[in-house]
Amino acid sequence: MLSRTADALYWMGRNTERAENNARVLNVQLIHMLEAKDRNVLDRDWKEVLEICASYSDYMEKYGRLETKTIVEYLTTSPLNMNAMKASMSIARDNARTTRDILPAELWEVLNEFHLDQPGPGEDGDAMMGTKDYLKTLMRTSMTAQGVIESSMSRGVPYTFIKVGKWLERAEKTARILNVICEKERSDKGDVPRNSYYYWLAALRFLNGYDAFIKENPPTMESGQVLDFLIKKETFPRSIAYCVSHVREAITDLEGGEVRHYSTRLFDLLETVEADIHETAIGDMEMEELMTFLDHFQRQCMNLSQVFMETYYLTPPVAVR
Amino acid sequence: MLKNYQTGMFFDEMMNSDATPKAHYDWFYKLVEKFSDQELSEKHETAQLSFLRQGITFTVYNHEGQTERTMPFDFIPIIIPEEEWGRIETGMKQRMKALNLFLEDLYHDQKILEEGIIPRELVENNPYYYHKQIGGVDIPLDNHIFLSGVDLIRDEHGQYRVLEDNLRNPSGMSYVFQNRYVMRQVYPELFFNHDIRTLEHQISELHDTVMSHAPQKCEGDPVAVLLTPGSYNSAYYDHMFLAQQMGIELVEGRDLLVQNDVVYMKTIRGLKRVDIIYRRIDDDFLDPDAFRPDSALGVQGLLQAYKKGNVAILNGIGNGVADDKAMYVYVPDMIRFYLGEEPIIPNVETYFLSDPERLDYVLEHMEELVIKNVGASGGYDMLIGPQSTEEEREDFREKVLENPRQYIAQPTIKLSRAPAYQKGRMYPCHVDLRVFVMNGKEMNVLPGGLSRVALKEGSLVVNSSQGGGGKDTWILRSGGERDA
Repeated sequence: MLSRTADALYWMGRNTERAENNARVLNVQLIHMLEAKDRNVLDRDWKEVLEICASYSDYMEKYGRLETKTIVEYLTTSPLNMNAMKASMSIARDNARTTRDILPAELWEVLNEFHLDQPGPGEDGDAMMGTKDYLKTLMRTSMTAQGVIESSMSRGVPYTFIKVGKWLERAEKTARILNVICEKERSDKGDVPRNSYYYWLAALRFLNGYDAFIKENPPTMESGQVLDFLIKKETFPRSIAYCVSHVREAITDLEGGEVRHYSTRLFDLLETVEADIHETAIGDMEMEELMTFLDHFQRQCMNLSQVFMETYYLTPPVAVR
Repeated sequence: MLKNYQTGMFFDEMMNSDATPKAHYDWFYKLVEKFSDQELSEKHETAQLSFLRQGITFTVYNHEGQTERTMPFDFIPIIIPEEEWGRIETGMKQRMKALNLFLEDLYHDQKILEEGIIPRELVENNPYYYHKQIGGVDIPLDNHIFLSGVDLIRDEHGQYRVLEDNLRNPSGMSYVFQNRYVMRQVYPELFFNHDIRTLEHQISELHDTVMSHAPQKCEGDPVAVLLTPGSYNSAYYDHMFLAQQMGIELVEGRDLLVQNDVVYMKTIRGLKRVDIIYRRIDDDFLDPDAFRPDSALGVQGLLQAYKKGNVAILNGIGNGVADDKAMYVYVPDMIRFYLGEEPIIPNVETYFLSDPERLDYVLEHMEELVIKNVGASGGYDMLIGPQSTEEEREDFREKVLENPRQYIAQPTIKLSRAPAYQKGRMYPCHVDLRVFVMNGKEMNVLPGGLSRVALKEGSLVVNSSQGGGGKDTWILRSGGERDA
């Protein structure tokens, strides 16, 4: 397969996943807003949401203050935010467009339909309802796309590149969310014990893991348990362990079970990352330690993406001359 | 719906002047009569949407940037009885054979110039004549024209005439397949009782045609690719569709690399050799070393690989010299010279304005003529006399006088028309037909082709960039229709 094609598939996977994750985070936040009464809590929550879905400092540089309507627009459709959901979906569509000769027709159609059906700015009457519909449609689109991929694509090279993109994006996002939540927990350590419960509940909801978590754990939201679940739970599809082991399996298949000279670096790194996950006793860690671990881990994830791209020449080739 | 339909002074594909359908449209007419107004309008909507949803679009560039547009689809097909089609088919094969011999001759022995059949300066002044680059180069099968899209029109007597030979990068073949597909989805009833030549094996024909151009040096199974300028090109859908259907890699210039005069593509496993390139990039952008140095679409060193016989390029380089509007005039002479035959499908009568007598005549009769720039295509830089204003004619007069060699004139042909259904009513629109001819080891004409229709009432321009639409084209097997 052409490197350019592999690159497009990889980024299609990443961008749909990114848009879906961000849409879920924003959706959860909009529901929380209805519950929170304290103005200060509300503003602080926005800071975390911005940090998870884009960049808080970038936002503040552009707008200077936290204001719900502005933030929502910034995260959904603003052309000033390169990680806005609209931008991610649009990149995914463009990627599908340039690779549609090897994709199931329905996959392209699903992404194209989202693009065509998007209301233009100011077209909807009730802004909040409009946003909720938008987020819902976006999440549905991503899930439908995922369904088409799973149900109709051969488990060959194109499939692998889409999925690896998805898993790497997911792993990175999970690490990021945990990082942001830990930071928040640390910053008001001991102030209000109820907050801790609320933060870890949010983390689970951001990652669509609440239902799965309470099936096996008490609903007390102990930070150790939540972290263990979101980092190490092999059966939960958004846990870091799940994503990394699936990346490793997919690449092993891609290489026919062999480690060749060009893939040594990639396999070594995967091994290190997996060992880090399994050998760390998360429950025993102090908050500071945990933060260091998560920081390190987030860097490892980015590193993994980089090495993966280099191994398969995915860095977009420079135009001839 | 067709009760008050007026054929006027034009040849109509479907209707007689007394508002009855022609024999080969009889069944179709009866079937359409059964649709209610509402059904027609709903089906029309469904068909247009289906193109949009599938992203069968072309890109239009204008002052507001770029927009993706679908080619409007009109459900009333152009039906051609098989005997009539047989004549077109033979005529197209004859024409392509002669044009290919002409190109081979022009880039080798130049007999036709030596014998004075075609003026040498007409060839040598042609900007698409690339003798310096590819003169004397032998290519697989000696075949320059792997795929052409010949535009045919019918005059007021129903006589088919060739309007243009497109020998470089004819586009639109994907629309032929998609028009048929949508037609079958949305109007299945209309296929009852009609025995239509299928398009089913045409893609594999095209694939075989591509593969038959493997260079002699190629060992093992040849690897073919389709080279596109990229997803921003207006015909990108066409490129994507053909690559996908043939199962060949769709590549851009930046995916290819020439090393030691061999072409490779950059894959996730490193470099992979390429033997055949079906390119949809114009000659002058192909290779910055040999043509335009500012081309970012092409591949450095490609021409050298081609000359060494390491890669086949389809269509051949340098075809532009044979399909411009000036050389067009000489195609009937080429048929006589190379084949010793009379042309089966005639040209449209054409005057060179470099001839002073003709020039005077044309300038006096601008209102009756069509004047075209020999180097332009897509309906640009042309004057349609009967539809022009005094001011436009004045502008054109100046342009022509400034550079008469650059222009030709043709009588305004009363282009045939066919009914079109748009915005809830049927009205007559001008049509033409692009016929696709594939040539490799054997020659094959795609049954039917792309019928283009000028949907703006009274307009003569069928190009999709200027508001033209498409119709399905049916070759109806002998007997016209089956018994119910």
